[in-house]
Amino acid sequence: MEFLNTIWEWLTTGTMGKIWGWMPSLFKATGVTLSLSFLCVIFGLVIAVFLALGKISKNKILRGVCGAYIFFFRGTPLLMQLFFLYYTLPLLIPAFNIKSRYLVALIAFTLNVAAYLAEIIRAAIQSIDKGQLEASKALGLTYRQAMRIIIIPQAYRRMIPPICNEFVMVLKDTSLVSIISLVDLTCQTKMIASNAASAVVYIPAMIIYLVITAIFTVIFNKIEKKLSMYE
Amino acid sequence: MAIIRTEHICKNFGHIEVLKDVSLSVEPGEVVCIIGSSGAGKSTYLRSINHLESITSGKIWIDEKLIDDRVRGTNKVHISAAETTEVLLNVGMVFQRFNLFPHKTALENVMLAPMTVKGVSKEDAEAKARELLTRVGLADRMDAYPSKLSGGQQQRVAIARALAMEPKVMLFDEPTSALDPELVGEVLNVMKQLAEEGMGMIVVTHEMGFARDVADRVVFMDGGRIVEDAPPAEFFTNPKNERLREFLKRSLQEN
Repeated sequence: MEFLNTIWEWLTTGTMGKIWGWMPSLFKATGVTLSLSFLCVIFGLVIAVFLALGKISKNKILRGVCGAYIFFFRGTPLLMQLFFLYYTLPLLIPAFNIKSRYLVALIAFTLNVAAYLAEIIRAAIQSIDKGQLEASKALGLTYRQAMRIIIIPQAYRRMIPPICNEFVMVLKDTSLVSIISLVDLTCQTKMIASNAASAVVYIPAMIIYLVITAIFTVIFNKIEKKLSMYE
Repeated sequence: MAIIRTEHICKNFGHIEVLKDVSLSVEPGEVVCIIGSSGAGKSTYLRSINHLESITSGKIWIDEKLIDDRVRGTNKVHISAAETTEVLLNVGMVFQRFNLFPHKTALENVMLAPMTVKGVSKEDAEAKARELLTRVGLADRMDAYPSKLSGGQQQRVAIARALAMEPKVMLFDEPTSALDPELVGEVLNVMKQLAEEGMGMIVVTHEMGFARDVADRVVFMDGGRIVEDAPPAEFFTNPKNERLREFLKRSLQEN
């Protein structure tokens, strides 16, 4: 009994007690980090599919536009894109003065992530054997049908590992939003650290990042296994 | 009434002339085998017929319909892409490396094109696919994915897949070259059976035995040209072209 009491005391007072006290606000901020990462990858994927198909299309203009988009968003720092959207764009075009910091962050991240995901999707599609398209054509399928029924379903499985990788990167990159004072997990951690004058708070914060990464890695592995059933 | 007629086909890859004035016709039900050393343009010619390669100049008729009349790459025939596709449905193709759809079962591979392209109902497509797979001797492997089939079985599925579109003529691009020697026979037997049922075909092959036994005409290509075109008896016993004589001597020594 004495022993349990000691443990209880250690858990509820002193440093550990402080950590428990921080957890509610850390979890709340985790929600922002998670939803931002998740939504920008989902929306980014939708845009990326069009960008990827555009970049491999025969239409020169479409290829140029999609290529330029990807070049721009991969070639400039995400941090600057975030600044640009938050500070510069409203000055240039008043209509783009978006009040919600969350929305600004979501748009900036979505646009950026789309460029990276587009390259992942393009590479996966182009890694599919050329014979698949030839067989589809010889059977009378149109290019669109071949893409939709034959090529892209095979490309899915090859996209999963790099998309998982991208998700994990984005999860951590969202810490950049603290720069426009959006309270995500990193921002909240920094605030606690300075308010409580205790750097210990970085430990639970990093553990939260690790737990999320671990959970999503497991989920993505499951999806990959499921999609490679036919091999 | 030729099912495939090609006249003066030329094809350049950059500055390299791969096909130099190739003319060849195939009557319905006729079996034409094309032989020749690698780089002679056999596969390129075959792939040009159903537009997997675009020719530089020449004319192509499929089922008496002119789909290509090209001069320096430009087609002078006014024909829409959809119409060309429609005409080319008369031509089935089997590839050296099978090119089955790996994410579909054997049955689904055969059902896919009739349902997608012709709008055949699932029930009808499945009935037809089962019948075709049975015909090529794969009644017990219908639900297997291609990765679980041997090369010979995969190629037979590929033949059934092409047949499902009910083509009037079939193109075989070295159908047995990627197979282990013991699996070649099963594919050739299916092709032979198909020929006996009256299917017209052009077969690019190195199988001299098949050419001798099954073909109505054997064509020898060399350096992008057709240099001999004769019935098998004449082709193998009394070849006129010097290069063909050398080629036959070499392939006899190898076997």
